Amino acid sequence: MSVTMDNDFMAEDRSAADITRNLYLSFIIEEEQYAVEISSIKEIIGVVPITIVPQTENYIKGIINLRGDIIPVIDMRLRFMKQEIQYDDQTCIVVVLYQDYILGLIVDRIIGVYTLDEQMISSPPNAKLSYANQFVKNIGRKDEGIMLLLDLEKILFV
Amino acid sequence: MADFDRESMLEMFSFEMNQLVDQLEQTIIASESGFSSDFINEVFRIMHTIKGSAAMMLFDTIATATHAAEDLFFYLREEKPTDVNYSELTDHVLACMDFIKEELGKIEQGVPVNGNPDKVVQDITAFLAGLKGETVGEVAVATEEAKAAAAAEITSPFGNHRYRVKIRFDEEAQMENVRAFAVINNLKAYTLGMVCEPEDLTSEDAIPFIRVNGFTVSFTSNYSYDTIFDILNKGVYIQDIFLEEYTKENEEMEGLNSFDVFLKFDEGAQMENVRAYTVVNTLKPYADYLLHHPADLLDEGAAAVIQTKGLHIDLATAQSYDDVYDLLMQTIYLKELKITPKYGQAAVATVAETVLAEDTAIVANDVPAAASAPVVDNVAADAQALAASANPAAAKRSSGQAVISVNVSKLDQLLKLMGELVIVEAMVTQNPELEGLQLENFHREVRQLKKIIKDVQETVMTMRLVSLSGTFFKMNRIVRDMCKALNKDCVLDIVGENTEVDKNIIEHIGDPIMHIVRNSLDHGIETPEKRRAAGKPERGRIVLEARNAGSEVWIIIEDDGAGLNKDRIMDKARANGLLKKPENEYTDREIFQFIFMPGFSTNEVVTSYSGRGVGMDVVNKNLEFVGGSVVVDSAPGEGSVFTMKIPLTLAIIEGMIIKAAGAKYTIPIVSIRDSFRPNPEDIFMDPNGNEMITVRGDHYNVVRLHEFFGLEGEVKETKDGIMMIIENGDDAVCLFVDDLIGEQQVVVKSIPKYIKKIRGVSGCTLLGNGEISLIIDVAGFFDK
Repeated sequence: MSVTMDNDFMAEDRSAADITRNLYLSFIIEEEQYAVEISSIKEIIGVVPITIVPQTENYIKGIINLRGDIIPVIDMRLRFMKQEIQYDDQTCIVVVLYQDYILGLIVDRIIGVYTLDEQMISSPPNAKLSYANQFVKNIGRKDEGIMLLLDLEKILFV
Repeated sequence: MADFDRESMLEMFSFEMNQLVDQLEQTIIASESGFSSDFINEVFRIMHTIKGSAAMMLFDTIATATHAAEDLFFYLREEKPTDVNYSELTDHVLACMDFIKEELGKIEQGVPVNGNPDKVVQDITAFLAGLKGETVGEVAVATEEAKAAAAAEITSPFGNHRYRVKIRFDEEAQMENVRAFAVINNLKAYTLGMVCEPEDLTSEDAIPFIRVNGFTVSFTSNYSYDTIFDILNKGVYIQDIFLEEYTKENEEMEGLNSFDVFLKFDEGAQMENVRAYTVVNTLKPYADYLLHHPADLLDEGAAAVIQTKGLHIDLATAQSYDDVYDLLMQTIYLKELKITPKYGQAAVATVAETVLAEDTAIVANDVPAAASAPVVDNVAADAQALAASANPAAAKRSSGQAVISVNVSKLDQLLKLMGELVIVEAMVTQNPELEGLQLENFHREVRQLKKIIKDVQETVMTMRLVSLSGTFFKMNRIVRDMCKALNKDCVLDIVGENTEVDKNIIEHIGDPIMHIVRNSLDHGIETPEKRRAAGKPERGRIVLEARNAGSEVWIIIEDDGAGLNKDRIMDKARANGLLKKPENEYTDREIFQFIFMPGFSTNEVVTSYSGRGVGMDVVNKNLEFVGGSVVVDSAPGEGSVFTMKIPLTLAIIEGMIIKAAGAKYTIPIVSIRDSFRPNPEDIFMDPNGNEMITVRGDHYNVVRLHEFFGLEGEVKETKDGIMMIIENGDDAVCLFVDDLIGEQQVVVKSIPKYIKKIRGVSGCTLLGNGEISLIIDVAGFFDK
């Protein structure tokens, strides 16, 4: 009895992983299209009041109150050393879970969710020319065009 | 379900055991120089509880080790020997405690509890034997008295000698049960009562049992060991005979006590033989040796014999007098009970206690005996006794519980809920929808609500406060052991140990204190010779002090040793590449901070206590975790002072919400001395551009909060803002902010760990409207 139950659970787990595999959330930061694996995304919220935390890197905009949890938010434009803009009603905070850190990433706007099969993903060119380039793990190709798959490890800790 | 129960019992058990062991350790160390009789009783009581609980939970190793120690104190209590080496005695007891702690550790980790108590037991037994050797005369006298007393009252139906024999038959013997029966028959004529194992030789299990375990007979006889051995040796097919006689010496070796038990039932009891059978069965699991008279309790005639002549039991057991007494007191319809130790060691006490026991037995006739038993043994009473340990005598007998133990996770949950309640309270009472409304009654009720919430919150906080005394007194042991190992002489003075801090914090400061004390003793305090040469008292002194300082508790560890060697620390720091600025810019305190770096030890020789460079870095790590800090002051030849500053609580604080640079910040109320609208004329500036202000004749540095945080301030004119005098211990500073908003209780939350520590910010909190407010870390304004 217990053996079959275990098997059922494992099957369910696998199917849950299958559903989110190859799925990417795509968003825009200054005209460029980026994407992050959906498995590392907790939720997406609109811009909420941000409390400034002094003496931090300029791209850490501060901390927000997410239903009682305090989470830091990173302005992706500033992270990529781009021009800061006024937040508008399209601006979103993508709440990501990486290792045991929960953070919000402020992006210009959300495009949507895409499925990218392995053959649609290729490595970025070797030469790292732009500052933003080092955050890119892979490049995904789609009929609509190209999207840059972000490396959260680099974004958070480099 | 059964598992769950045992689990929670184990938790309770290990909690209590740890408390008892700690208590015992402290008591012992406190009176290493000499034991008063009150003290011995106290130790005895604790030991007894430990042993009882351990035996109940079936941790025999603990029970055995404690039993040995208990014997020792039993001897001390009864014989009051004068010439005792208390230092050695303390060593033995501490060794026993260490063993128990080790076993407890195993229990907590859920690994098998399999330590070997033999070493501990042997050491203690040997020590006890040594003690007894010096006082043999007294014992002998006591023995005689006891025998005389016993003989006068009841005639024992048993023989003078007590034996146990284990017989193994040859492998080809066959029909072992019949052979065993033959042995019994041979013996019968020479014995007065016997019990054999297996009991029923006719059952089919008997043969395989004997093959594996041998055949064991316990019996009493008036014949000597040699005679009995010869008789046994006449049997056929016997492979080997292991005959042992129960003598005083043998029993001591094995940690056994022997008792003659005599009991009688009430006249109306009926079925005395069945009752007797129950009694025997109760004792059996504890007995190493047990004979009873009449021998056949299932025979109907036995009832009449017991009714008139009573039941005699000859018992050898690992249990103490008190245990046996407790067991027997559970018998119902008990009319008379006499327990007499066979050998003199306890004679004095038992004569008196037996009388007492009789009284109790009569009074307690139909009442469950446990309630009136003199040794209070239930969990609740122990907890109570612990709480009242300052006055053990008073704690022994009192009804009702003054103290209960609560699972920490429940307290944590309560605190969390409390935090939510405080936030919701602010959300409701400061709701924007109320603005501009005339609500006199509402506001009155709100004040009432706030008061109650505050009271509840304070109660919740005090529930979590734990005195530092436990942590502090543990250091006694460390100092003592280290002094012995390092041949140093040092006293530890403890001051302010009743200071209380939050439970969560206390868990993190035990190790730092220990490492600093070790460090002080190892590196600070010199050997007596050196101290004499330096013109200091030979005995070193370490003062461990706790004191309240605003929202902090300071723990100060001061020694009168050699002090820290600045040059060596600097050399080492240079070698390790730790210097970040020109050497001459380092202040003493900054130099001393290096000793808290990982792997930093100026000790060339690694001792068992220090020199590996681990330890002091634990201090910093643990203190950082609770938001504390440590500073060191030291003077060569005079000693060092380590001051640990620890926040009182991590959870809810009384805060003043202020506005600066367009944001709301919270300042702990306890740090605020004063706040006022500044007069620009009181402000002056030094050549470096540092602002200062004169307030009622005192001068303070001015810190403008927005400048400190590097933010754009909204209030430009000094006269439009507010000055607040903020203090941290002895230091004070004048803080310039835009405006005061109001006083409020705030729930402290930590800044997400992704953001590294910010100077001047200790945490954050949620205001009633969901806004986040950073909590100002006042200490951040002071250390450079």
